[in-house]
Amino acid sequence: MNGSLRPEDATSALTEIGRHQEKIIDAALVPAWYWWVVAAGMVAIGAAVDSRSRDVLAAVLPVAIVVIAVLTAAMIFGAYRHVQVRSSELLGGRGAVAIVGFVWLIVGLTLGIAFGLRAAGAPAPATIATAVGGAAFVTGGPYLMRMLRRMMLGNRAGLAR
Amino acid sequence: MTQPGLDELIHPPTRLAIVSLLAAVEWADFKVIRDQVGLSDSALSKQLSTLERAGYVQIRKAFVGKRPRTSARLTAVGRAAFRQHVAALQKIVGQSGVTVLPR
Repeated sequence: MNGSLRPEDATSALTEIGRHQEKIIDAALVPAWYWWVVAAGMVAIGAAVDSRSRDVLAAVLPVAIVVIAVLTAAMIFGAYRHVQVRSSELLGGRGAVAIVGFVWLIVGLTLGIAFGLRAAGAPAPATIATAVGGAAFVTGGPYLMRMLRRMMLGNRAGLAR
Repeated sequence: MTQPGLDELIHPPTRLAIVSLLAAVEWADFKVIRDQVGLSDSALSKQLSTLERAGYVQIRKAFVGKRPRTSARLTAVGRAAFRQHVAALQKIVGQSGVTVLPR
């Protein structure tokens, strides 16, 4: 190369860099099934709480919590995807705020509905609340991923706008 | 056109693909890199060894249960070289009057 390169070759190299980084960022995103599994776990917890049966709670609660916790940890630490993005560099503070905000929104929505329904004397308040929270999780999760993807593509190494 | 900052080790397409990919991640499994870049195991091993000898890449070998798992990450030296290389490429393009932005 000897430090000599034509502009069209440099353009082509930059395009390739962008393409490869886009591919690896896509590979690092949380898959769609994750949102459904966690939502199902949430509803299982809600239904178990409404059952008021110690046996059901003892059987469902540990399994659902372990499944949600293990899956979430695997997604955060990249254990499932075998790749971990540079979250501090690619996501930055805005990305972290978006993720934490989303989690709090789902928790707040679910608990708010559950306590509201319970106060109103509605039947199965926990099941209804977790179903609504789960639906919001399944709907909002992929939207959050699209937002994070845009952020990561904008912040990727050496190619930030 | 001569441009300081261009890195001869990084610039060949295969190594550029590997380094570009690693620049976006903390670490990546050997298999992920192989599949993303489209290389055979031996070809990727060879390229990673070259980058490792230059101090650009750190190879980590671990066992998950009984299965060996190899992963790679870009070192600070490799990251700096990549940034410099990208900056040099952008400068060449910029001097030619063409603008290249990520999609």
